[in-house]
Amino acid sequence: MSEQKCPVHQTLSSLMGMLQSERLSHPKSRRIAEEIRDLLQDVAWGRAGDDHLNALRSLAEDLSGIADFQGTAGIPDLIRESLETHREVFQSHIDTHNCRSGDCVRLVPAPCQMACPSGIDVPTYVNLIAQGRDDEAVAVIRKDNPFPWVCGLVCTRPCEFMCVRGRIDKPVAIKTLKAFAAERALSDRRYVNPPKAPDTGKRVAVIGAGPGGMTAAYYLTLNGYRVTVFEALSVAGGMMMLGIPRYRLPREVIDREVGMLEDLGVTFRFEVRFGKDFRLGDLKSQGFDAVFLGIGAHRAFRLNIEGEKDFPQVTDAIELLRRVALGDRRLPGKRAVIIGGGNVAIDAARTCLRLGSDAVTIAYRRTRAEMPADIEEVEHAEDEGIRILFLTIPKAVLGEPGKVTGLQCLSATLIRKEDGDRLFPVPVPDSDFVLEADVIIPAIGQQVDQECLNDVDELKWTRRRTIHANTVSMETSIPGVFAGGDAVSGPATVVEAIGAGKRAAEAIHRYLSGIPQPFMPPVPVRRRRVPWLEIPASTKMTLKRPEMPLLNIERRRTTFQQVELGFSEAAAREEARRCLRCDICLRCGNCVEVCREKIGVNALEFGFLDFDHPGHTDFRITAERCILCGACAANCPNDAIKIVDRSDERMLSYCGTILNREKLEYCETCGAVLGPRRFLEYTKNRIQEIKPAVSSQKRCDACARKESARTHADHLPV
Amino acid sequence: MFRKGDKVVIYRQSSDESWEGHMDQYVGLHGIVTDPDTAKNDPDALIEVSLQDKGTHRFPQDCLKLLDEA
Repeated sequence: MSEQKCPVHQTLSSLMGMLQSERLSHPKSRRIAEEIRDLLQDVAWGRAGDDHLNALRSLAEDLSGIADFQGTAGIPDLIRESLETHREVFQSHIDTHNCRSGDCVRLVPAPCQMACPSGIDVPTYVNLIAQGRDDEAVAVIRKDNPFPWVCGLVCTRPCEFMCVRGRIDKPVAIKTLKAFAAERALSDRRYVNPPKAPDTGKRVAVIGAGPGGMTAAYYLTLNGYRVTVFEALSVAGGMMMLGIPRYRLPREVIDREVGMLEDLGVTFRFEVRFGKDFRLGDLKSQGFDAVFLGIGAHRAFRLNIEGEKDFPQVTDAIELLRRVALGDRRLPGKRAVIIGGGNVAIDAARTCLRLGSDAVTIAYRRTRAEMPADIEEVEHAEDEGIRILFLTIPKAVLGEPGKVTGLQCLSATLIRKEDGDRLFPVPVPDSDFVLEADVIIPAIGQQVDQECLNDVDELKWTRRRTIHANTVSMETSIPGVFAGGDAVSGPATVVEAIGAGKRAAEAIHRYLSGIPQPFMPPVPVRRRRVPWLEIPASTKMTLKRPEMPLLNIERRRTTFQQVELGFSEAAAREEARRCLRCDICLRCGNCVEVCREKIGVNALEFGFLDFDHPGHTDFRITAERCILCGACAANCPNDAIKIVDRSDERMLSYCGTILNREKLEYCETCGAVLGPRRFLEYTKNRIQEIKPAVSSQKRCDACARKESARTHADHLPV
Repeated sequence: MFRKGDKVVIYRQSSDESWEGHMDQYVGLHGIVTDPDTAKNDPDALIEVSLQDKGTHRFPQDCLKLLDEA
């Protein structure tokens, strides 16, 4: 790593120091200085665009024109001089998103944090949980995601796919730990809102109380904006409430976290339907300065088969889940047939079972291998007694007047088309058969309902019938109107919607403050650097990811009680200790290389360093081979490996995992530390050829020199 | 068809309208599919990929290849 300091990092640090000194008393000068800070952070984090440098210079000029001489003294000059002297470096950060000195990439987050669509500082909160500091863990999570408990139960956990521990055995159970901390903090009455910024006087309308909209509302309110959320239904939650069954996400969980938003000052207006009770144009006349569209994707695709529109017992899965979510517990039909192979189809099937259906069948036109639903969800459904019929194509809905009696189907076979590797289901001739049914539930995907925006000609749509928005700033084709969540991405995940809501909140803040929008997606922010926990290598290797305890099968089949019961406290704390602390180790491999190539010992078996082809990892092997020379620690750029002398031992650790420890040897003459035995033997062998041992006594260099000089004087004539 | 957990490479730019300018820098990067189309395996759907050190994004599938095939 270069010794030269990065001017971007230095300028930002100097400015932060000035801001923290609170000598900027004039509100306007403070605001401009904070805008300068935001732009500098964009540059330092590789997310600035072409306008940033000009905007920085312009803000510096604005600041120098304010009569707050004592407060602003130095800031305009700092910015001007930095830009003049180091313009190429600033430009390079913008163009290449890299920092040659390494100062700015010191903020590079761990893979789990990078993978999180909402950018949660995973290593920090996981290690706070390991220490029993659950409320602090929740506060860290909520800096990037206002729904820790919800996400702890339903997140698709991209973080766990990128978890480096997964290259050794199994990823850390990040999702479940989040739910554990949120539940504990609430139970302890220590789940609290952070303080809000002073009121800006500006108003923002959020359409839709789903995860994206409510996240935007949360961060805008924290930033001092007055936010009103408009919701067509009588409850908040959007797809969290309507699309996810209660056995996966209890209503209390959503209500508690929505309640936190209300406590913060977000205003909710329920049962007002956008496009019917009010329109986009009305919001401007009501004094809203910006709008966020989070209308979701609630409209189901149709099967387009004969008889589909002829019977009231044909109801799409989203409608069924919505009805049940709002409290309807009526039996949909004794024999339920669900069409589709995705997660929504599984949710609908498991819901029918809990409502009392005797026979629940999922008809899917491909095989188990192509089924898009999560494997765990499919396994849970089959455990509960749901039958899945593969290679089944629906042909027609059969029935008597006003009543469904069955679904006519065809068996299918899969063929591969010449120009691709995708398998297509093709009906087998004369393979018709009938699945008897009292209710038929298509679950073949959803799309955005465009009707509510039909009158807004300026709004651009994509060919996928989603709102066209920049995925960095979430700006639509209409100035001041932002969008996010499923309405932009198409049906996606809760955590993606939360990430979009967070980005939109920042973009709206910039829009209302006249700051340019970023060009690059945000780099997640390291919130804290929690000290690591010491743990023996053998413990680190042998701790296993706990199995999730589940509700017994009888209750699962008959009630909407939560299926996953969560970890016990002991299991959660132990699980958190499996974290490798990738926020500290950058996995550069310097340690392995120097130990193997330079020292020739090869004591570090760190196969997890390679993303594409992970090798074998065993922290315990280090103790068998390591000589405790410290070369690995000396070559670690981020202090992940440490070698220390503690009482009468020398100890080598990797992010707190104790790799090796050995008793120290001392100088027999003066008592100075010589090092551990293995190290002394290693050095003795290395220098044997050039300096044979003159004595078997253990002496430090100083005492050996003295002894050598005395012997020299005694035996040689002067 | 991509499955959850597949290791992929972004081997080229996409001409799809969802491809944004900043995505050019992702070409050549490796990642893991974290949320494929979980409704019907639509080859035209945007799927979620966690890129090594570059975050999680949705991409059109025509720019992705399984890492083993690359």
